Amino acid sequence: MNCPRLKDWLDERYDLKGITTLAKSKLVPAHRYDLWYYTGGITLFLFIIQFATGMLMALYYVPHVDFAHKSIIEIVTKLNMGWFFRSLHHWGAQLCIAFLFIHLFGTLLLKSYRKPREMVWVTGFVLLGLSVFFGLSGYLLLWDERAFAATRVATGGAGAFPFIGWFIKAFLRGGMDVTGDTLLRFYAFHVAILPIITLGLAGLHILLVQYHGMSVPLSVDREKVREIPFFPNVLFKDLSVWLVVLGVLVTLAVLLPPEIAPKADPLAPPPENIKPEWYFLFLLQTLKLFPGDILGLNGETIAILLVTGAILFFFLIPFFDRKSSRGEKSPLFTWIAVVYLLYFATMTVVGFLS
Amino acid sequence: MRRIGIVKCWLNSRFFPLCRWLPVLLLLAGTATGWAAEKVQKVDVFPPTPYDGFIIYESLTLFWILIIGLIVVIRMKLREIERIQELGVEAEDPDAPVLR
Repeated sequence: MNCPRLKDWLDERYDLKGITTLAKSKLVPAHRYDLWYYTGGITLFLFIIQFATGMLMALYYVPHVDFAHKSIIEIVTKLNMGWFFRSLHHWGAQLCIAFLFIHLFGTLLLKSYRKPREMVWVTGFVLLGLSVFFGLSGYLLLWDERAFAATRVATGGAGAFPFIGWFIKAFLRGGMDVTGDTLLRFYAFHVAILPIITLGLAGLHILLVQYHGMSVPLSVDREKVREIPFFPNVLFKDLSVWLVVLGVLVTLAVLLPPEIAPKADPLAPPPENIKPEWYFLFLLQTLKLFPGDILGLNGETIAILLVTGAILFFFLIPFFDRKSSRGEKSPLFTWIAVVYLLYFATMTVVGFLS
Repeated sequence: MRRIGIVKCWLNSRFFPLCRWLPVLLLLAGTATGWAAEKVQKVDVFPPTPYDGFIIYESLTLFWILIIGLIVVIRMKLREIERIQELGVEAEDPDAPVLR
């Protein structure tokens, strides 16, 4: 496509050549671990799909306790391709969080968080937390009996947090129990508050990655690393990977559309074998490990405190790992990362099978 | 007392067969309504007609063919770019005449 008049028009107003030169001057290291670089791009791509499909469904969804479930059924059964976009949104969320975890553990194992990229880690970690909250808030919007029971359990678990638990629980629920107020609150979080914060943070995260450049693992000799231009080499590879991810996403959406359970009834007992989304399973299994009472203290509160401590330590790893920030190998933190990964994977599988 | 006995006898003769079949009727009615309720609750999350299903699976196959084709084109283009980069002739000549 060659449009000289348009090119001239833009060139007179914006420094297009400068932008092109900047894009071409960006170099990406090529080494045996460079596959991990693509996980961040995949997550971004999935975020974009989530925004697009979410906006489409927001055109028809009614965030009211009496109509929410009905509106979802109408989206799925009456709208042209509605079932497909809902399924895409569902599977996009699952894949997005899965790739966020892969990206997180890849960053952790390759020590890409080390100085001077601590803030890249911090923004990425907060983005993961936001995405999990995206999942929790989006799950309730279905307003079916499973979503209702799962939200009750999740917000109730937050209530076990000492001192401020009651406030978190009341803030999330918008009252004492999960009601229409909770639905409206979660809708506001899901479609307005979280997207704005996510957009800002994702922008900052990408900006910081561009500012610092791609990290090279400690085990790779920096001097011997070949560098390839981001544009067009890496971008073309990114596009290929995104196409494959899109194919997998569409296939999952077509072959395994998510079911819709009966409408939530606050007075009915919760359905049997209720399970939260897969990324909460490790938390649920951890809570199950603890007895109800430990030395006169509430077992759930102790479990929540321990989990919070473990997550906080995980979040602060870049600031604890002094060796890798000096450019030295730190096997202790590699083992810590492996333990975290194994615990998360094992507990998720156990939670899924039980 | 006799009157009551007559009424009781009358009721027995009229309604006893019905009482005997009542549990069976209730069971059948319950099963039927339960089945109907289950039918109502089950939401079709995928177009139910075989024709729609066929079109969707066919489109999915075409979609994958398109994806593979695009990946092949991108890969070919990338190899060409890498070949030119290896030759070291990719730098644009700023004084080159432009055809308009």
